[in-house]
Amino acid sequence: MAHQVHAYHMVDPSPWPLTGAVGALLLTSGLAIWMHFHNMTLLTLGLILLLLTMYQWWRDIVREGTFQGHHTPPVQKGLRYGMILFITSEVFFFLGFFWAFYHSSLAPTPELGGCWPPTGITPLDPFEVPLLNTAVLLASGVTVTWAHHSIMEGHRKEAIQSLTLTILLGFYFTFLQAMEYYEAPFTIADGVYGSTFFVATGFHGLHVIIGSTFLAICLLRQVLYHFTSEHHFGFEAAAWYWHFVDVVWLFLYISIYWWGS
Amino acid sequence: MCTNLFRSIRQPESKMAAFGRFSQVLLRSSLTQTRRQLSAAAGHGEQSGKTWKILTFVVALPGVGVCMLNTFLKEQHHSHEQPEFVPYTHLRIRSKRFPWGDGNKSLFHNPHVNPLPDGYEGHE
Repeated sequence: MAHQVHAYHMVDPSPWPLTGAVGALLLTSGLAIWMHFHNMTLLTLGLILLLLTMYQWWRDIVREGTFQGHHTPPVQKGLRYGMILFITSEVFFFLGFFWAFYHSSLAPTPELGGCWPPTGITPLDPFEVPLLNTAVLLASGVTVTWAHHSIMEGHRKEAIQSLTLTILLGFYFTFLQAMEYYEAPFTIADGVYGSTFFVATGFHGLHVIIGSTFLAICLLRQVLYHFTSEHHFGFEAAAWYWHFVDVVWLFLYISIYWWGS
Repeated sequence: MCTNLFRSIRQPESKMAAFGRFSQVLLRSSLTQTRRQLSAAAGHGEQSGKTWKILTFVVALPGVGVCMLNTFLKEQHHSHEQPEFVPYTHLRIRSKRFPWGDGNKSLFHNPHVNPLPDGYEGHE
């Protein structure tokens, strides 16, 4: 039987990059079709394909790493680079929306009444639910750190408890934000204030949901004994992403909720 | 980690090289490096988990509780009157129909606080 004489992972051929690309194409074109022609077929198809791709691709990675031992230290280093680069790209993504917000709010046009918030907009009180949301996310940052140390120290039960707590806090944030969205006296159609508010906080909320899902997968894997005290990069990646989500919220809170009110 | 950054200021080293060494320090995957990068400043080894557990139940969760109480109390002081409707042209923009329902209501439409371009529903 042939053995590799290097520590790297030569991945087996896989259909998932192709199905992912097709899914992304259907999703984007489907979104455009839905907006203009009110038909959801392409969009739904793209969404299903993408979800199936993600499930199977990541399932394969868990198989390759946890069960087949392909994630040697150099391979793990590459995965770390990858996650760092991805999060960096997301930072730039949000930077764009902050740019849009500051562009509109630093020099409010005459159409808005020459002021920020624009005439007729009653902003949310930053010291009510938004402050609670800040406390919730900061607390979840503490609990996820507790979870990390628990994993490193081999405390299985505490790791499960702290990770569950983190996910519950994430759900609580999402619930509170959804309530805020419903109760807000302004909508996304209320000029540039509504646009910048809901697009920036909306994408953030989406990232909270993604991060919570990632952590939930880690919880499942922790319960199934996938992580060891020395090797648990999937969890670290989820924790990094979660801290990123927290930091984006802090910027949103300071800029849009507090300064912008 | 901090000493690497200081070294880049004192010696004539390029920023890129300093960043490269910083990211290298972060990426070295041996256990002690990982622990030093990601553990709290206080406590090492067995103690760190305990520190964060204490922080969770003494600081983080009570902080959330205080904010919950604050929100609840403030909410009670609110008047729940419907805000006055002024038909400003820069608000309630409808350049394009929403892709759902009658195309006139936002995704999180709340009839009590979100007037349509003509005014609150049921008041026309």
